[in-house]
Amino acid sequence: MTSTPVVTPTAPHRRTGRWRISPWLYLLPALATLILWVYWPLLDALRLSFFQWNMVPGAPMTFVGLENYQAIFALPKFWQALRNTGVYILGLLPLAVLVPLAIAIYTHDLPPRARNIYRAVIFVPMIIAPVVAAAVWRWLLDPGHGMVNEVIGLLGHRPVRFLQDPKLAIWTIIVLTGWKLIGFSTLIFSAANANINPSLIEAARMDGAGKWQIIRDIRLPMLRTTILFLTLMTVLLGAQWSFAYIHVLTGGGPLGSTTNIFYILWDFGFSTLSVGWSSAAAIILFLGFGGVAFVLFRLMDRYSFHDS
Amino acid sequence: MTADLTLRPAARLTRPRAAPLRLDTAIGHAVMVILAVFCLFPVYWMIVTSLRPANEIFDATLWPTSASLENYAHALRSIPVWRMLANTFAVSALVTLAQVVTGLLAAYAFARWRFRGDRLVYSMIAMTWLVPFQVVMIPNYLLVANMGLLDSLSALIIPHFAGALAVLMLAQAMRSFPAEVIEAARMDGAGNWRILWQVIAPNLRGTIASLAILVFISTWNEYFWPLLLSRSPENSVIQIGIQMFMTSEGTAWGPLMAAATMASLPILLIYIVLQRQVVQSFMKSGIR
Amino acid sequence: MIRKTLAGAMALLASTAIGAQAQTIPATVDQPVTITYYNYNLASTGNGADATRRMIADFEAANPNIKVEGIGASSAELTSRVQADIAANRVPDVVQMVFSDLAYGVDNLGVVGLEDIVPQAELAAHFQGMSPKGLKLGVLNGKTYGLAYTFSTPVLFYNADLFRKAGLNPDQPPKTWAEVKAAALAIRDKTDAEGIAAGIFGPSAGDWLFQGVVRSNNGAILSDDRKTLTFAEPAAVEAVAMLRDLYDSEAYTNLDVTAAMEGMAAGTIGMYLQTSAIQGFLVRGAEGKFDLRATTMPRFGDKPQRPNNSGSALVIMAKDPVKQRAAWELMKHMTSKEAYTIITRDIGYLPLRAEIVDDPAYLGEWVKTHPLVRPNLEQLEMLEPWTSFPGPNYRQIQKIMMEGAEMAVFGGMDPAEAMKAAQDTAQTMMPK
Repeated sequence: MTSTPVVTPTAPHRRTGRWRISPWLYLLPALATLILWVYWPLLDALRLSFFQWNMVPGAPMTFVGLENYQAIFALPKFWQALRNTGVYILGLLPLAVLVPLAIAIYTHDLPPRARNIYRAVIFVPMIIAPVVAAAVWRWLLDPGHGMVNEVIGLLGHRPVRFLQDPKLAIWTIIVLTGWKLIGFSTLIFSAANANINPSLIEAARMDGAGKWQIIRDIRLPMLRTTILFLTLMTVLLGAQWSFAYIHVLTGGGPLGSTTNIFYILWDFGFSTLSVGWSSAAAIILFLGFGGVAFVLFRLMDRYSFHDS
Repeated sequence: MTADLTLRPAARLTRPRAAPLRLDTAIGHAVMVILAVFCLFPVYWMIVTSLRPANEIFDATLWPTSASLENYAHALRSIPVWRMLANTFAVSALVTLAQVVTGLLAAYAFARWRFRGDRLVYSMIAMTWLVPFQVVMIPNYLLVANMGLLDSLSALIIPHFAGALAVLMLAQAMRSFPAEVIEAARMDGAGNWRILWQVIAPNLRGTIASLAILVFISTWNEYFWPLLLSRSPENSVIQIGIQMFMTSEGTAWGPLMAAATMASLPILLIYIVLQRQVVQSFMKSGIR
Repeated sequence: MIRKTLAGAMALLASTAIGAQAQTIPATVDQPVTITYYNYNLASTGNGADATRRMIADFEAANPNIKVEGIGASSAELTSRVQADIAANRVPDVVQMVFSDLAYGVDNLGVVGLEDIVPQAELAAHFQGMSPKGLKLGVLNGKTYGLAYTFSTPVLFYNADLFRKAGLNPDQPPKTWAEVKAAALAIRDKTDAEGIAAGIFGPSAGDWLFQGVVRSNNGAILSDDRKTLTFAEPAAVEAVAMLRDLYDSEAYTNLDVTAAMEGMAAGTIGMYLQTSAIQGFLVRGAEGKFDLRATTMPRFGDKPQRPNNSGSALVIMAKDPVKQRAAWELMKHMTSKEAYTIITRDIGYLPLRAEIVDDPAYLGEWVKTHPLVRPNLEQLEMLEPWTSFPGPNYRQIQKIMMEGAEMAVFGGMDPAEAMKAAQDTAQTMMPK
């Protein structure tokens, strides 16, 4: 999670060129596992996405060309799901990037002891299992007896239907996902922030730069790589992080308002075990996110700050 | 301790200036306290609810007026909690061990040699996290079934025998490992195997520890793959046990919260004990 | 690897298919045999799981040669699991199958027709005393594929205390949708409670209640020849429009299943249309707090209501004759008088054998103290089968229909347009 996968190996002391057996022996266990459990199924999915088949031995396997893809794109909720995916990403960015960035910079000035306690506490959601988190939040947000609505009731308002109101539900899921990520992102930013050479800041201070100027001219540029990295993670994985909450809490509803591209493809493809649909859905997911990732990595390569 | 050392310069620089920043500091504390409550309250509420007797389950007092363990007794009666916890522990520990070992081996290949296709292989490993779990779920189920592993814990372990995160994280760490040390070891006649395990691995303890913690926690918390494989409670993991309390015939909140607490406690304990280690490793490795 | 599975499976299928067609299952099980029993009650905690385990233990005690391996998966995932295991060459022997999956199970997963394996006389003897309407639920193309197991009917639960507070007579509960609307509005106006909630829509709702509503207005979701979808025909649209009106008037509140159940149990909802299976949960909540009652599903004006069942049937998938015999023995045990007593009393479903209701040896005493089961039994007499969609895309079709109806009722879309759009999309997924 902390390493940027774009970096390719460039160790200094290697001999180039020749075919060797040793590296492959060392790679074998990891590579074999990943090929067997990830890449082979993916290739198989590509093939099966052109067929209609229900996996049952003896059942006919009919070649249907692009029909599975057409059926998915024709789903009434597909475009809504795609839009929602955008909402998820935009909604998560402040929670997974901006707020943690602000916190990391702000708390840098707090006494180390207090700072460490805060950081320890806000990291806790990251280690709580998604199922546990979903169950606890459902309990907290319950319109009848939930703690949150009890408090809202004390303030004299009608209970808020966090997960039942089609306008609110997606924001509820976004906040719950953000709840999990905020501590993690803060830690990453803090680490990067702590790595900034203090003499740079001291030098700026000597030159009479104010607190905001230091943040704007030194800290933010130095943190650019980290910002880009976390943005990229949010864009690529944001929809996936919400999946467990959608699955346990809303099932994509009400009125499809919380469904996203992962959930709808899961709902119509994987959960019904029709191999054609689910394979086509798999390929759409892989190509879609692969494309987005490619563009983002290129952007990141161009704009990130190369200091080390 | 090392974290403190690395942090000290920054802290020392700000300390003399603390006085004029008092308002800032106060706001900083306020923001952090609010955030801390937001992050911790659900966990606290889970534990409090689990301790309420059945007739007070809907109470909203901040702590139970009379603590009771009846929800725990109920949860222990309904599902084999201890068995499930033991299963979860075994699976998480073995997956962690396997990923560290396979990760070290693969990372060494990248750090030690330049070979035909190394970049391709490296990016292929990196790209596995672009493949969503849902994509490989069904074929993997069939593969596990064909191996005759349904309803056994090894089905939860074998597909996670290696992980992209482990390889990438260790490869990063090895990249910054001083080449001179390796060269020196080679001069002394050490082979690759010995260099990896006796020279590099001991020096990567920090990275390995934080990697192990990450893998252990994420395996412990995994839900969808075990859900797909779950057949009998005795061979399931604790996350499945939690899910069994959320039925379509009404949710038993008390026992559900008790089960959730029992599922989270081991992880929380690990975090409390190793918190410095976790935070420190994050700080030290950071993102370069 | 899928191809390998396929090859192996075909070989296996070829070797066992002959046995299945020869349709001579042995009269008894003489050698030890283990059969798998896929059951969704086992996937959760609570009464259902305990009762199921108890029934399995009783069966094993009575049939020492047969060992039953219970496999739990949630009701929504059970059929996928069955399918995956068939693909992996582990054909299940007995399955508790949700009725909406039955057609798919028969057409694609090899559910065995009981008439094909069980001698006629033995079958007739076992069917003795079963409700004819109930037996019909598991019949497809003239053959009995499943025996209704944990099944129930839609019941309108109501809170008699709220009725009194709103100036309504709880002894004369609403019988038509118009009366339901009037009562719900009265409750909403005169109390703090919501009028009516219903389990028609939602992620885990399926389409069974919706079908009952449409059918009660003499609509249908599927043509009789099972080739054309009909849920955008006027009668169905009218039923959807009625629900829309109910919602627009604020009589009908849109709550998810958990919230509605808990609200009803806590006394904050006036009426709740839902499966009778949740009765136990509601009774526990109401006990000592308010007067919980139940009546039959509402009808449209003078048209009689035509509810369909929810729940599951037991089906046999075993291919090996000895296992088929063992599976049939298990099925007989699970659909016996004793079993239906447990299913009705402890899990909250309906007895397929009506005679046990007044028999003091079975449910006699219990029914006296649990009058809520009566409307459920009343409806057993008018129960119609829960229609399952044909073809491999049956689930997608069901989802699209329910999404269209949900958009029409809660989402502000025009009912006729929403149902038409859903029907057009879904029709392309029907088998050609």
